[in-house]
This record gives sequence, structure tokens and C-alpha cells, in this order.
Amino acid sequence: MESERWERMQALFHEAAEQPATGRRAFLESVCGDDPSLLKDVLSLLEEDAAGASFLDSGVGEMAQDLLAEPSAPLLPLKEIGPYRIQGLLGEGGMGVVYLACREDLGSQVAIKVLRDAWMSPARRERFTVERRTLAQLNHPSIARLYDADTLADGTPWFAMEYVEGAPLNAYCRARACDVAERLRLFRAICEAVEYAHRHAIIHRDLKPSNILVKADGSVRLLDFGIAKQLDSEGTSQDHTRTGLRLMTPAYAAPEQIRGDPASVQTDVYGLGVILYELLTGRVPFDPAGHSTGELERMILEREPAKPSAAVGTAQTLSRASWADLDVLCLTAMRKEAARRYRSVEALIRDLDHYLKGEPLEARPDTLGYRTSKFVRRNRRAVFAAAAVSLTVVVLVTFFTVRLAVARNTAMAQAARAQRIQRFMLNLFNGGDKEAGPADNLRVVSLLDRGVQEARSLDREPAVQADLYETLGGIYQKLGKFDQADTLLRGALEERKSVEGPGGVDVAESQVELGLLRSDQVKLDEAERLVRDGLEKTKRLRPPDNAAVSKALLALGQVLQARGAFTEAIGILEQAVKLESTPGPPTPELADTLRELAINNYDAGHFDIAKSLHERALAIDRQLFGDSHPSVAVDLISLGDIQQELGYYSEAERLTRQALAINRAYYGTDHLQTANSLTALGRALVFEKRYDEGVDALHQALGICERVYGKVHPAVAEIVNELGGVAYMRDQLDEAEAQFQRMIAIYQEVYHGRNHYQIAVGTANLAGVYMDRKQWPRAEQLFREALQIYIETQGAGHVNTGIAHIKLGRTLVRQGHYSEAESQTVTGYRILIKQSNPTDSFLRGARKDLRAIYDALNQPEKAKQYQEPVTVTAAAPVGR
Amino acid sequence: MPHQGSPSSGEWAFGQPGGTPEERRELDYLFSLTYEELRRLAATVRRGDPSVTLNTTALVNEAWLKLAHSPRFTSTSPLHFKRIAARAMRQLLVEAARRRNAGKRGDGIVPIGLADAAGVAASTEEKLLALDAALVELAQLSPRQAMMVEARFFGGLDMAETASLLNVSEATMLRDWRAAKAWLAHRLRELQ
Repeated sequence: MESERWERMQALFHEAAEQPATGRRAFLESVCGDDPSLLKDVLSLLEEDAAGASFLDSGVGEMAQDLLAEPSAPLLPLKEIGPYRIQGLLGEGGMGVVYLACREDLGSQVAIKVLRDAWMSPARRERFTVERRTLAQLNHPSIARLYDADTLADGTPWFAMEYVEGAPLNAYCRARACDVAERLRLFRAICEAVEYAHRHAIIHRDLKPSNILVKADGSVRLLDFGIAKQLDSEGTSQDHTRTGLRLMTPAYAAPEQIRGDPASVQTDVYGLGVILYELLTGRVPFDPAGHSTGELERMILEREPAKPSAAVGTAQTLSRASWADLDVLCLTAMRKEAARRYRSVEALIRDLDHYLKGEPLEARPDTLGYRTSKFVRRNRRAVFAAAAVSLTVVVLVTFFTVRLAVARNTAMAQAARAQRIQRFMLNLFNGGDKEAGPADNLRVVSLLDRGVQEARSLDREPAVQADLYETLGGIYQKLGKFDQADTLLRGALEERKSVEGPGGVDVAESQVELGLLRSDQVKLDEAERLVRDGLEKTKRLRPPDNAAVSKALLALGQVLQARGAFTEAIGILEQAVKLESTPGPPTPELADTLRELAINNYDAGHFDIAKSLHERALAIDRQLFGDSHPSVAVDLISLGDIQQELGYYSEAERLTRQALAINRAYYGTDHLQTANSLTALGRALVFEKRYDEGVDALHQALGICERVYGKVHPAVAEIVNELGGVAYMRDQLDEAEAQFQRMIAIYQEVYHGRNHYQIAVGTANLAGVYMDRKQWPRAEQLFREALQIYIETQGAGHVNTGIAHIKLGRTLVRQGHYSEAESQTVTGYRILIKQSNPTDSFLRGARKDLRAIYDALNQPEKAKQYQEPVTVTAAAPVGR
Repeated sequence: MPHQGSPSSGEWAFGQPGGTPEERRELDYLFSLTYEELRRLAATVRRGDPSVTLNTTALVNEAWLKLAHSPRFTSTSPLHFKRIAARAMRQLLVEAARRRNAGKRGDGIVPIGLADAAGVAASTEEKLLALDAALVELAQLSPRQAMMVEARFFGGLDMAETASLLNVSEATMLRDWRAAKAWLAHRLRELQ
């Protein structure tokens, strides 16, 4: 029928329906005279219409009920599937049933997996056809071959694969009581199989021990390649109540799978990581027991797993260092962000081989991954490098991956660059076998030197070359080799300018990096200039909440801190904190910034604020890294310092001992971080009057710093200052004098004769020695010098300035110059009153001096003003 | 009866003849999702309480609630979704009916609850398949009316929603509905 005719039919139908029933036929006959079939059709319409409501009115519910009433899986056993005859049931899993079957014509046995509840829409079934051809191409001894795949009449997919007689991986290991070596061997075989599949562009997506069978001869077979893809529900990503299509237990799922994002090669890397974890510890990293699916998923997305070495519990025969490397291996594979894992299974296998041969790994623990050039900032001014741990070589492929993962150019160019650099670094460190270097810093340096040479050859790829220069430069900087770092970072900057012009985004970042180097080199003007410029550019070129902006702000804060411009630094850093305090889990960058902000508050004398900021940073670091991590140690030291300032000495000692233990365990006994902790501990012990122990710790720290930095560096000067202070306290005045003089000399050289508040510190300390020797004029002169510098560098209202006033006043008192003594002491007193706890010993000393002054000046009323306040809190520190 | 594949063959074309290949692909994809969701829901409902009548409207609503959060559905209006869902439901049921029929002829899975083949009344699956065939024919005559029936019957859309979907007045719709019903009833009688 034609639609026109249908139109006509309808028109007639409606017209006729409006007629009284009796007259309808007549009406129609008159209208359709020449078309009897039309008449007939319209009449039948009317007839149906008259019959009343039809099932169409009631909706499809009942029919649907009926049609869909059958159970989803056939309850009666299948006899045949495709060309295979079912011989028996092998097992049942969450997703389906596995039958043993054989092909009549070939006589060979296969396992057929029938996926119940796999609701495939027709469109998907079409895709499935294409897929299974690819899957059938996987031909590897460790992969169960897929022979055939199709759907049953109702659309249920089935897969016919190689029938493997073997035990699931974990059961096998348990039954044979496999040792770690054997487990690793199995693991390696598994990795190779996965790598093979990846080369054929097939991702497994559902790697778990139950998918891996081990035959009696110890060979592995991986099952179900690519099958999970068929089941993937492509739509809902937030749905926690998925059944059927979704993996039944997400315990092995990668974070991106839980989020519903597409799977990638790194998804399989994650799966391998979990398998390794379970092989090593006997447990899954995130235990479903006692948790709902939703909770489990959240854990996988947000929580860091316990390190395998921690989770393993019972005695394992490996050394601690071995465990450390296995931890790294496992956890690198299991990182939450796919881009931070091993880039490929090949990379994982490589590191596994390194481990098996007793060589250092390429991957490194989290610290370097996050911190790059902003590594652990000490609570005072010196920058301690995060250089190589005793036996392991610094930085590598993963390092690069992280650095370059910061989005800059287009994804393609970025990926290409990353690959080239990865290969570069691999070549670099693979060739390192031939190096027979003794100390590890030397080994690193020689490798780096080679690296630089090779980087130079990349003239035709300026972007890549720039990246390399910058990274290598950063490493040199960490090792304290500022000249090399300088050349490289400047080189990187120039390259970047040539690639994107002077106003480019990468250029800005390079400037900031270079600025930080300048800060380390104590070229503070240039440092500030570079960082400010870089910051301006970054602000212009990036959205305000971009990480590069807060990074640049942090750098500026650090430079200002190094200059002693604490108040300004605080303003800058507070901006950075605001930017980094986005909702969601805290980041290491936020901890860094909080720490820097705390340092500046400390240096500005705001101890309480500094304390709470350090506590925040500590909480974040604990959350991110666990309790035994060097970042936590830094926070502990900082808190210890503050506790010391506030007078809680034993608390300070406790904290610093904790930090020292962490650093020693992590870095070894001869490392800068350990030096840092030793200094802090020494200080704390000294304050408790345990001088010998304190001095011993300080000497150890000094030795380490001198070895790394040479004899002229702020870090060294600082420890020298401490030693001077201890000697002073013990009345070893000659020793104290020598130390303070050395300290001043170092700072003067370091700051190129310019004024810096550290010089004032040293000068004031030295003056104190002369005071004790009662060499008043000399002391007075030095205190005046110190005061000048303090005023110039820290401002007239600074705590240190106040203390200097008071000390100068005291010198004058001793010499009987009471009126000037009064003015100095009162000035100092007024400054301190605004800042410190009134029971502070400096204030007490000042009051004592003022009483003496007014007594001498015969002004008893004023003397009375400076009486000791009657209420003295019990917490007053004794004997400062 | 030709296997009714995905609707990209132009059956979506009502109101938008053709559409770009990308649009059709997108529609296909949405359809796939909806289909699977509905089926899954239906199974869930069934497993819950087999005696409960399957309320397709509720099913469709529930499917919408779930899928609405999916990024692929952000530009889909609830009404448009229901349209897709109606088609998906139809497909679902047609396939179920076909399976049943095939089962009866002994082509593989033997389901439980086999309807008495010798019964006088037409079985549900035969009825549905006949309806499907008739709808295909109706679509040739009047795509709008076929869509209307599909939306109302399979999708559970009410009068107002259907009228809105088709962009006609309710009065027109009522007329169309009446005529379509009559025609379908007649045609079904012939087919069965």
C-alpha cells in the first residue's frame, strides 16, 4: 500500500466514524464507489475500532513479563556449542561457566567458557566478530590459545580455548611452598606473556591469579585475554551496583577501570603489580573482606597500599635492601596514576631482571617522582641534596616520565619526546655496567657527564635536548655541583628560547629552575630576578590554578626566604597555598608549600603559626607516604626546632630522634639528610644540657656536610654556628670564638661581602663571647655591627633586631654607659614584648638590665616597671 | 523476517533524514547502552520477584536515572532517551520472542516454560513478532504513526509525552492513535 492511500483510508475512517453507526456503510459506499478494496479496508478498520480496547492500550508489560520470564542461563545443560560437543563441566566462575568439550572432527579437547549475563546488544555482537579474529592470533607458549568464539542463539558469547591442566597461580605456590625466587620466576614468565600480547595490541584488562594456571612442569598459562573487553559496560562509570557485566570483585581492578576510563597498557601493568604483591605477601593489597564494594573501590582509588615488605609479616629470607627494591618494583607498577607506573611491561621486566641480577633498579621510590628539584627543604636555609643513596644510582626513566608528564606541548609531541628521552636514559644507564666507579656519587657524576655528552649530540632536537639539559642540570644541582648545573640549566633556557621564543611557557619554567639554582649558589639578586620574571610569564601564559603557577610562587617564596625577606615570602606562599588547596586529597606540592610557609613564619618569629603549619605538612606527608618516609622526617625536625624555641626540649629531642631514625634507615649513615637530622638532634641535646652527646652529633653532621659541600657553604656554617653555641654554653670561650669566626668568614665569602642576616647572627654570637670575656668595647663594636645588619636585612622590628638591641644595651650597661644602654634596651624590650612569650629569657634579661639601669640612673619608679611579673607559668623553660 | 540490526539503517530517520555518520554512530552507541541497561534491569526485576508485572515505564525511568549520569548521555533529553529506550525495549522483546520461537523448533537452547505449542490462542512470542512485523509495515506507510506506537507501547510514554515527541497536537495524536490501532489489529489478525 502507498502512504497516500493510507492517508485517504484514515481520512475516510475518521469521517465515517463520526457518522452514526447505521449510516456508515452507505456513506462509504458513496465515497469509495470506484474502489472496492478501499471500501473493504476502511470497513475493517471500523470493525476493529468498534471491538474496543486492544492490547496496545495496556502497554507491553504483560507481554514483556512473559517473554523475559525465562532465566538468563539455560537450566538444562547444553549438549553442543557450535561445532563442539560438551563433555562435562569444568567449573563455574563469577562471569560464566566453563565446559570441557571436544571437536568431533578434530578429536582435540578444548575448554569452553560461556559468559552468562553478557548482555550484548546487536551492535556489540558485530564488533565481537571482529575482535575474536584478533584474539585467535595470539600464539605464545604462556598464553592459552583461543580457538574459536561465537555467540549462542540468544546472544550469549562463548569462547573455546586451549584446555589447560594446571592449578591457579596462588594455589600452585601454596601447594609447592614456592620460595621467593620461584615466585619471581613465575611472575617473570607471566610478564613475558602479557608483553607479547601488548605487542599484538591486545590488553588483557582482567589479570588476576585465578586467570593464570600453572602446569605440573611449572609453565604458566594465561587465560581470558581480551575477554574482559567484551564484557565491559561502556556507559555507567559511577555505578556501584553493577552486576553481571562488571568484574565481580574489584580487588584486582586498576583505579582507571573503577572509574570507567578506558584501559591501557598500564592497566595491565597495574594488574601485574597486584599479582606480584600477592605472590610476595600472600595477600591482596586491598582486602575486600569486611568492606562493601563501594568502600573497596574507594580504597583502590585513594589509599596507598602497605608496602609488601611491611605486609609480608612472617619471616622471609630476603635482606632488607632486597625488600626495598621489591617494594619499589611492586609499588611502581601499582601507582594510582597510570602515567606514573612502568610505561610498559617491558620496563617492568627490565627492572625485574635488574633485581634478579642484584643490580640497582631504574624506578625509584616516590620521593623523586614528586619532588624533582624542589626536594626536601630543610627547616633552615641550606638546601640539602637528595643525592644517591649508598648503592643505588639516581634518577631515571621514571623520573623523566614524571617530569615530562607535566602537560606542555601536544600529547603527540610529548609522547614522542618522552619516548626518545626514555630510550636515551636507558642507553645511558645500561651502558653503566662497564663503570667501575668506587663511591656512588662519583658513579652518578660520571654517568651524568656521559649523559651530558650525549645530550649535546641532540642538536637537531632542541626541545628534547632542553628537557635533558634541565633534568641533568637538576641532578647536578642536587649533588651540589653548581657549575655543571649552571651550564646545563642555562643551556636548557637558551634551547627553550630558541624553540618557543623568549616568552614561552617552557622558558618561564626554565627560568624558575635556574633561579632556584642561583639561590643555591647564593646569587640572590639574580635568583629573585629570574624567579619573578618566570612567575610573571607563567601567570600570563597559564590559567591561575595551574600547577606551574603555584610552583613558581613556591620558588619565589624560597628565594625570598633565602634573602631573609620573610614577610614578603609569607604573602607569596600564602597565595600558593590557596591555589594548591583545591578540594580533594592533599598533594605533596601543598605539603612543600606549607613547609616553606612554616619556615618563613619561623624565621619571622611566628613560632605558633610555624608549628601548626608544620603539623599540617606532617599530616599530609604521613597520609601520602606513610610514617617512615624522609618527608615525614623533615617535618619532624621542623617541629622539633619549634618545640625547642618554645622551650619543650625533651619533646624536641624526641621528635628529632624520630627523624634521625627515619633518615638513617632510608638514606644510610653518610648522607646529607642524615646530617640534617643529626644537626637537629645535636641542637636538641644541647638544649637539654647533654653537651657531649650533642657535640658528637653535630660533629658527625659537620663531617658529612663538609664532604658534600666543601668547607664553604651555608650548611656548613650553620653547624659551625651550633658548635660555637655549645662551646659558648660550656664556657669554652676560645673554642666558641674560633667557631663563630669561622662561621662569619664562611658567610661573608658565601654572600660575597654583602650583608646578610646570617652574618649578623655570627657577629652577635661572637660578640657574646667577648662579653663573657668581659671585653666590653670589642663586644660593643660587634653588637653595633650586628645590629646594623639586622636592621638592614630583617627590619627594625624583627625579633633578632630586638635581641641585638638588648645585647648591645647590656654591653653598655657593663661599661656604665647607662643612658644609651637604656635607649637600646628599651627599644629591644619593646620589640620583643610584641612577639615573644613574656617569660622568655631574653625579656627577663632585659628587665634585669633595665632595673639595673634605672637603679643606676636613680629612677626607682621606672625600675619598678620592670619587676618580674609575679605569675610565672610552670612551663617556663629553665636555663636558657 | 530479516534480522533487525542496529537502527543505523535509516529507521531513525524520522524528522532527520540521514543524519551524519557520526550522529548515527552516536545514536547506535546510545541505543546499545540503553538496550543493555534495560535488559539488565529486567533481569534484576525478575530475579527480585517473579510475580511482579514488569512495568516498562518504571524500567525505562530507572534506566534513564542510571544512564543520565553517563557522559555520553549529557546532551540527551529525557524525552529523547525514552524514544531510544522504546526502540531498545522493542528490540529486546523481539529477540526474546525469536529465541522462544527458535526453541520451540528445537534450534538449540531449550528454555523452561515452554508454551504449549498446540494451544489455540497465539502465544505471546508469536503475537509480538507479528506486531513487530506489522509495525515495520506501518513505518512504510506512516513513520510518524509507527514511532508513536513504538513510543507508547514499548516505551510507556503517555499521550502528552508522545505528542511532544512527535511535535503534534494531542488531538492529532489521538486520531492517529485510533487509526493506527485499528489498522494494526486488523493486520495482526491477518498475520497470525
